[in-house]
Amino acid sequence: MKLSKLASVLTLVAATALPTIAVAADKPVVGLVMKSLANDFFKNMLEGAEAHAKKRGDYELKAIGMQNETDFESQLNGVENFITQGVDAIVIAPADSRAMVAPLKKAIDAGITVVNFDVSLDEQAKKDAGLDLAFVGPDNRGGAKLAGDALAKALGEGGKVVIIEGNPGADNAAQRKLGFEDAVAAGKLNLLDSRTAHWETEEANSVFSTMLTAHPDIQGVMAANDSMAIGVIKALDAAGRSDIKVVGFDNVSAVQPLLKDGKLLATVDQFGSQMASDAIDKALAVVGGGPKLEGWVKTDIKLVTTDDVK
Amino acid sequence: MKLLLRDAGIGIALLLLILFFALTADHFLSPNNISNILTQITINLILAIGMTFVILIGGIDLSVGSMLAFCAVVGGSVLTIPDLSVFQAVSLATVAAVGTGALCGFLNGWISAFWGLPSFIVTLGMLNIARGAALQVTDARTIYSFPPSFNAFGSQMIYGVPVVFLIALALVGIAWFVLSRTVFGRLLYGIGNNEEAVRLAGHSLMIYKIAAFTIAGVLVGIAAIVYMARLNIASPIIGIGFELNAIAAVIIGGTSLSGGRGSVIGTLLGACIIGVLANGLILFGLSDFMRQLITGVVIILAVIVDKYRERITAA
Repeated sequence: MKLSKLASVLTLVAATALPTIAVAADKPVVGLVMKSLANDFFKNMLEGAEAHAKKRGDYELKAIGMQNETDFESQLNGVENFITQGVDAIVIAPADSRAMVAPLKKAIDAGITVVNFDVSLDEQAKKDAGLDLAFVGPDNRGGAKLAGDALAKALGEGGKVVIIEGNPGADNAAQRKLGFEDAVAAGKLNLLDSRTAHWETEEANSVFSTMLTAHPDIQGVMAANDSMAIGVIKALDAAGRSDIKVVGFDNVSAVQPLLKDGKLLATVDQFGSQMASDAIDKALAVVGGGPKLEGWVKTDIKLVTTDDVK
Repeated sequence: MKLLLRDAGIGIALLLLILFFALTADHFLSPNNISNILTQITINLILAIGMTFVILIGGIDLSVGSMLAFCAVVGGSVLTIPDLSVFQAVSLATVAAVGTGALCGFLNGWISAFWGLPSFIVTLGMLNIARGAALQVTDARTIYSFPPSFNAFGSQMIYGVPVVFLIALALVGIAWFVLSRTVFGRLLYGIGNNEEAVRLAGHSLMIYKIAAFTIAGVLVGIAAIVYMARLNIASPIIGIGFELNAIAAVIIGGTSLSGGRGSVIGTLLGACIIGVLANGLILFGLSDFMRQLITGVVIILAVIVDKYRERITAA
């Protein structure tokens, strides 16, 4: 009885495992490593990549994500699994700009083409590891400046603003903060406070409520992603403050109604659904014998305001 | 009497903390800030009430954060069904969220009691089950656009006191009554103190254990509704680590991790201490990293103080 059960389990395993091996033999395999799939931004990216894989049809896509934005461990394991499976290319949005350098070095040494997109790896960490890797992605700093400039234009010189930052340690969080600060300097705004809410809605709600208590004269808020902007807007609703302007980043679907109502002044679209597909195209070009990628390959960004959703 | 004294000690600690921030941080005592603190502690308080029941019987529930997400996405899916009146949608969503919580809690209690397994392990399993289920049913998408009146309820105030906090306070009252004034409640303490004695007295341990975990699950369901009303979204990734905050509130509130000693009034004070610390330290101008560090120190201090109290009351 037990043996027959074991046998049937084995057949099942073989049946599920074999087709992948068979496909792997004739088409290049691309391992796509993303961050939290529960974030609409990466969800859209995954769907964009899946549609792209179906459309091109000349490669096999294997995608993995993480539980949440700070779950570095599963990204690391994912990269190691891809190395073991011997994929042809790894296309990765690193969860941490430094932590992922070592495993990616290992992948390159194993002869895998690696394309780094969305978040750039830390320059110093790359240098220390002797890793020379191009970056395909948006200018987070420039994007944040676009959103910040829109806020500065709405408030005028001397406007009092606060920044809600992303995860400390993540490069895109740091870049967006710098972009917001650029806008503060350019628009001669008055920056009252800047704190992290770890990209999360609930934490942004609590942290911002408390900031508003400390500085009731806040006029504008720059949130480093839309999830946090949603938490900020809820806090403003609760406090009955419709006079404070908010800008976000990512243009996720949950903020569309807020843009329409004017509760969110602006957000930034970096076309996440295309970004992964673009990076995959570039990886496949290298796998197919094309030249190595170098430096920073910038992707599109666009400021989205009320006018764009009407 | 002893119990009252224990709570008084924690109350004094809270008052000292409030006094400290009132003197050092601007705006701390402003009515708006007090409303903020009350709103900010509500969800943790509701979760901690349920956690008190579980810890009193000598158990632990590590799954409440994930269960919160699961209850919220189930409730949120019901809430956004088209063609329902607001009343229908909100009532059905509440039933769905609370029912989901009760079911998960029941499973936690039943599995650990029936097989005599440590609840630490069983709820660790549930932590993953509930998170996976939440991601599965939503396909990892955030649910949003709830009825405006439901949304307004989340930030409703009565004389500056958030309605959601009043709900939490009412739950504290009910839990206090159940734990201290009913046979059921006294038996829960009994199980935490001496399981064998309760069993020999002819009571079924299983029913009481299942009840404690189910109550915790019901409270998670209520917390999920409050979460949705407050933030107007239901996402499968909310609540990560919330169980640890709830456990911290219970422990700072003087309930013993080994069970049998403590009270839900202490839990209320414990949740207030955590909330006041988080809010006061930001107003004080301290960084987020220091805030987390200090909260950790307070948890350890609370356990050390509890050790001394145990010695004094035993003497």
